[in-house]
Amino acid sequence: MNNQNNKWKFFSGLLSKIGFTPLGLLLILVLLVIPFIPPFDQEHILRWLIMGAFLAAQAAAFDFTAGYISVVNFGFAAILGVGAYTSAIMANTSPVILLRPGISPWIGIWIGALVAGLLGLGLGVLTLRLRGIFAAIMAWFVGIALMGLVNNMVDLTRGPLGINPPTLLETTSNRPYYFIILAMMLIIYITLRLVVNSHYGLAFKAIGQNFDAARASGIDPTYYRVFNFTLSAFFAGWLGGFYAHFFGSLTPQTLMHTSKTVEVLAIAYIGGRGSLWGGMAVAFPFVFMMEYLRSNFTDLPGLHLVIYGVLMILTMIYYPGGLAGVYYWLKDKLGKLLSKSKDE
Amino acid sequence: MESTIKEPSSLTKLTIYARSHLPAVIVITLSIILGIVISVTASPSQLINAMVTGGMWALLAAGLALVFGVMNIVHFAHGESFMIGAYVGYFVFTSLSNYLDKNPNSLLELLAPNIGVIAAFIIGALVGVLLEKILFSPLRKRTKSGWVMNTFLVTVGLSFILTNGTMLVLGANFRGIPRYYDIPPLEFLGVRISMDRLWAFALALIILALLTYFLQFTRTGRAIRAVSQDEVGAQMMGINLNIINTLTLALATGTAAMAGAALLFMFQAYPTVGLKPLYIAWYVVMLVGLGNVYGAIIGGFIVALLQTATQQYIGIAWEMVVPTIVMILVLILAPSGIFGSEVKGVHEQ
Repeated sequence: MNNQNNKWKFFSGLLSKIGFTPLGLLLILVLLVIPFIPPFDQEHILRWLIMGAFLAAQAAAFDFTAGYISVVNFGFAAILGVGAYTSAIMANTSPVILLRPGISPWIGIWIGALVAGLLGLGLGVLTLRLRGIFAAIMAWFVGIALMGLVNNMVDLTRGPLGINPPTLLETTSNRPYYFIILAMMLIIYITLRLVVNSHYGLAFKAIGQNFDAARASGIDPTYYRVFNFTLSAFFAGWLGGFYAHFFGSLTPQTLMHTSKTVEVLAIAYIGGRGSLWGGMAVAFPFVFMMEYLRSNFTDLPGLHLVIYGVLMILTMIYYPGGLAGVYYWLKDKLGKLLSKSKDE
Repeated sequence: MESTIKEPSSLTKLTIYARSHLPAVIVITLSIILGIVISVTASPSQLINAMVTGGMWALLAAGLALVFGVMNIVHFAHGESFMIGAYVGYFVFTSLSNYLDKNPNSLLELLAPNIGVIAAFIIGALVGVLLEKILFSPLRKRTKSGWVMNTFLVTVGLSFILTNGTMLVLGANFRGIPRYYDIPPLEFLGVRISMDRLWAFALALIILALLTYFLQFTRTGRAIRAVSQDEVGAQMMGINLNIINTLTLALATGTAAMAGAALLFMFQAYPTVGLKPLYIAWYVVMLVGLGNVYGAIIGGFIVALLQTATQQYIGIAWEMVVPTIVMILVLILAPSGIFGSEVKGVHEQ
């Protein structure tokens, strides 16, 4: 019995190194088998699952900035859009090497991510002297400017008409795409978790909580903030590339608009800021709820977005910790209860 | 020897002031030059257009600055006040003009737009009171930590609700009017100005003057300024924070709604009409420094000039891009805005 207990502890300790609890691992397993279980194996529901994973990964990348260094990157959707557009343009025409058709989307995605990462680096440097809310609004302005640029560079992006990049795979089934985005989501989560668990995470939290005190204790805020922005933007651009080559159509309005950032922000905050996994846990049920509302109340467009807003406000006012806060609270209570019963 | 203890001349005072507000002086001088360039190379009517929208941006930005200065709320739903005003203005004005078609009355015809604007102010102010009571007051009671960031996120959610709620209730159609006053444009020194623009400009100036008078010379206005300077100190002097907060938010949303109604002939009422005014109001407020109401009034005109210049020389599609680049440059050189002080407020935490 005791031996088994030790093994279990070793196992969960190993898991927690890459940021999973046994419960989290179970949920991931569910996500892995769910596309084969009957009600979920229909193509349109697979599409919802893909949107869920896409949103979950975005929420994790967003929370990496918002929850740790306390800078709400309000230009997140625009950066993601730049990644998507870069990859799409490369795949369509490749203006640099003048090849037609351009390079494979499998490589283009990485170039898109790199460009987005560079943009994040620039944004990080730009907002360096600004604090908290100033930085958020500056990022918003940059996002609007980027969307304006994409709208105006008609030669390259066809402006508001949008472009149609090739898809990643030749299949019409959604299932392979689901596994790709799930893998991307896990890679993003594990990478971010590893960074956050290292001394970087401590430095991020210190900067987020008190900028001056962190600087006084010898943390170089410049380096950590720029690093954080770059990594978050890199993943955003990577996800954008997936979006481009999954849907096969891009317009600035559907990808880069401020309301897209707000959707990610709402998910991340309802999930619990500073937890990374909270937003991911919330994203799947949320997408299902939203899509259900959207497809069943077609005479009420925008209803699902109103619900988004209401939930977000309620979370902010009454439970700022979000889902993660509830989880930790429950765990704490349960732990106390268990230790009490053991004592008796 | 006597000359060294003389009072500094007014010119010296001016130079000292200019030196301590160098960014502001540079930006204002450049904008005046830009205005002159526009009126010479393009046409003076462009300059007048800039002034008309500038007045309204000033109104919006002043409200935003007031809310930030007094309540430390990063108001992201300010554009939705504009949207509400536009709808109120539309419904009031169209029903009035339907009534006027049946029983003509020249006096009422002259007053009709003003009635729409006043109605918008009243509804807007009511919305402000409701927001304070339903949203900000519970939040304030709950927690004071991270207040600025929380209000930002709450108002983002609010903006989402209001925009999409309007879409649900009123649908996604544009509601606009071609013009308020059906009078041929006035000619003044060879420049044609439409009556609507003239009216909107006059209105903006009157409201701004009233606002300044209210803040500067009335007891309540002084109380508002006192709260923005030192909340605890103001409370000790017997100022009721609840009343001041409610009043400030009502005033800000009311004036924003007023701007929405007054600009109905330029911006049709539409659920997402508030995004651009919101963006511009924030642009102004960031440019001059958060919480600076009088700076925001000047900034409104500067930004409108910049927009007009962009439209004139680069193209209307770049209207959002070029000012942002200018803004980024200004903020790199003067991170707390051109009128900003080096005092660290709660918003920098």
